[in-house]
Amino acid sequence: MAYVVTDNCVDCRFTQCVAVCPVQCFHADETMVYIDPDNCIDCAGCVEACPVGAIDDEFNLPDDQRYWIEKNRERAAILPRLTGTMDPLPGAEARKAALGL
Amino acid sequence: MIVSKENGKVISVRGNPDQPFTKGRLCVKVNNYQERVNSTDRILYPMRRTGPKGSGLFEQIGWNEALEEITTRWKEIAATSGPKAILPYSYLGTQGILNGLNVGDPFFNKLGATISERTFCDSGACTAYTMTIGHTAGVDPESFVHSRYIVLWASNTLTTNSHHWPFIDEARKRGAKIVVIDPYRTRTARLADLHVPIRPGTDGALALGIIHILFRDGLTDADYISQYSIGADELAERAAEYTPAMVADITGLSAELITELAHGIATSQPSVIRIGVAIERQSGGGQAVRAISCIPALVGSWRRPGGGLLQLPLWAFPVNWGAFIRPDFIGPEPRVLNQWKLGEALTDEMPLDPPIRSLMVYNANPMAMAPEQGRIAQGLAREDLFTVVSEHFLTDTARYADILLPATTQVEQEDIMFSWGHFYLSYNNRAIDPMGEAISNTELFRRLAKAMGFEDPCFSRTDEEQIAQAMLWDAPQMEGITVERLKREGFARLNLPSADEYAPHAQGNFATPSGKCEFKASMAAEGNFVLGLFRQGYDGQQSGEPIDPLPHYIAPQESRFTNPVLAARYPLNLITPKNHAFLSSSFGNLPHQRRHAGEQPVVMHPADAAKYGIAAGERVRVHNDRGTFEAIAQVTKDIRQGVVVAPAGHWASLNSGGATVHAVTSSRYADMGAAPTFSDTLVAVERC
Ligand code: SF4
Repeated sequence: MAYVVTDNCVDCRFTQCVAVCPVQCFHADETMVYIDPDNCIDCAGCVEACPVGAIDDEFNLPDDQRYWIEKNRERAAILPRLTGTMDPLPGAEARKAALGL
Repeated sequence: MIVSKENGKVISVRGNPDQPFTKGRLCVKVNNYQERVNSTDRILYPMRRTGPKGSGLFEQIGWNEALEEITTRWKEIAATSGPKAILPYSYLGTQGILNGLNVGDPFFNKLGATISERTFCDSGACTAYTMTIGHTAGVDPESFVHSRYIVLWASNTLTTNSHHWPFIDEARKRGAKIVVIDPYRTRTARLADLHVPIRPGTDGALALGIIHILFRDGLTDADYISQYSIGADELAERAAEYTPAMVADITGLSAELITELAHGIATSQPSVIRIGVAIERQSGGGQAVRAISCIPALVGSWRRPGGGLLQLPLWAFPVNWGAFIRPDFIGPEPRVLNQWKLGEALTDEMPLDPPIRSLMVYNANPMAMAPEQGRIAQGLAREDLFTVVSEHFLTDTARYADILLPATTQVEQEDIMFSWGHFYLSYNNRAIDPMGEAISNTELFRRLAKAMGFEDPCFSRTDEEQIAQAMLWDAPQMEGITVERLKREGFARLNLPSADEYAPHAQGNFATPSGKCEFKASMAAEGNFVLGLFRQGYDGQQSGEPIDPLPHYIAPQESRFTNPVLAARYPLNLITPKNHAFLSSSFGNLPHQRRHAGEQPVVMHPADAAKYGIAAGERVRVHNDRGTFEAIAQVTKDIRQGVVVAPAGHWASLNSGGATVHAVTSSRYADMGAAPTFSDTLVAVERC
């Protein structure tokens, strides 16, 4: 019952999502961000904000992407909460271009 | 909301990033609004019942046939039993000044039908609030960034008012403390700095305990009190009875916590209290709101932006209510019937002369949201009751219709909207043509009026003409706002001081008879009443029960302290908050929101679960003498022991056992404004 960060965030980590999230749901590691599903209020604000379309409603995920639901939960639980945006990872723009975005 | 369409079809919706309050975010209820619009379950044509009542079996008919059948029946009923035998039933399932609360009022006032007293939401609080500080919008929700101490009293803001949260969070970043008062550790309470897990139905005692401490510890703003209030000495005397020890006993909170709250509210200025609807939904809800409404004036919070009380921003909007209600059409001796009493009114429980022979439901789903669900179903099943329902979907109520009419959604109609949550007037541009043969409520009542032969020009007003009449455009708040601008930009902030400056009661100016904050309410002399807005504009035949002009605590009727005999059989206190994914019962049938909400849950404390042998995830029966519903047990320490939580809004027809929470709630009123008493319900929970 939440929004989920998926593949496209890996090695991008643009973090515009963090700025729009009203409840500070995002947690980060060295490669990407994750949503804490217990705090997410399903407002969808981050979906529009993400420049690489990495975030979606968990109900919309195709079967081969559903593992992200658990992964977001697990990683968010142990990683520090982001309180503000960060610089994108080096190579984020290149990755975005590679994604055709 | 920005609507994207392709070939005349809505394909997605999103928030408007330019809207300063919502900032581009919608919410889980409407993120997928296109699914509501395009749902294959939509009712798109007028229909006539073909199977037994409640079976949901219908055949398609034409609009002319439907209108003919409805008005022929109504004319016959009016001629033989009198028009009072017809009852309209509606609330705010559709929002908007045109299509919302009052859209049918001119028609039914003209018809002479029974007046529907609609006290679904905030009526109790409005009566109490009006008596104390008048019909003020209170604190601008955006001014909360300036607040130093924010009390969300019975408000699960992240579920029911989520766009307000960033302003609250910003205040916290600037050093404010956030307190949530709620028996349940809601998602909002989890994010607060302090959660006050009060026993349900005891908010009035807590407020009086706080007032006690304010006087006892010299925390009041004597200057503000002497200039801008009346009745402080009497209030002090009254509050003296509510010692922290006694209040701790009633509320289940520690005296230290109550003291901390009182000191926080008084010393961290400006402090603000945001009250939620749950407060009024208890036997002493009105007096609880009275007591709470006194607090900001006692400590002088109103002096600065971000200080005071927030209940309903709607009061800021200069809506031309009269043009939409037409109370002048009401005959000399109308009959008023409160909507909570529907079950009784449709059955033998309430002898009525004439009895209700026809019911018209629009913008509402009483089977899901009104109490005594079983009795309502029994009434709706009456063969001699002619029921007309205008709807998007075959709701639990619509299933019982004799004639079912197709209604448009927000994207298929034009409207202008005030707000319950901010100071922006919005324009609802129609995005697509109506689906099928669906029509807006305004069109519905134009057609009905014509078929009834009502000739007053108000019944043929176009939507455009109604929009032109919707507001008091000359009011100072409307300066610079025109229909053209609204159509183009979608929204406009009322012409009020900015959120950084807005302090409407810095110098009193309360809209009470004395112009002051009335701790001792002069309006109490007239007794209990419901605002005309909630009664089709009618101010007569008010219940007038005596009201103590000073706030006091009224205990719940169903609790182990006040009714141990009942509590021996039904030991748990049920509360029925809003569902995160539904808007009351709207969206309760849509796949996305249903998946989010899951099956009807009942949340209980581990000690209670253990006591009744219930494991997490198990199906249980929640019941009392009024009825039973089934739910899935969730076991967590987020709820107080002795209290269970079952969110309302699930549909009975989609829930195992065919009933939901309102099967067990009562139609008893709270002390003011005919508010319901849903938080004053004892139940037992057992394994299925
Ligand atoms: S959906 Fe809303 S609450 Fe959830 S992570 Fe995205 S921005 Fe945050």
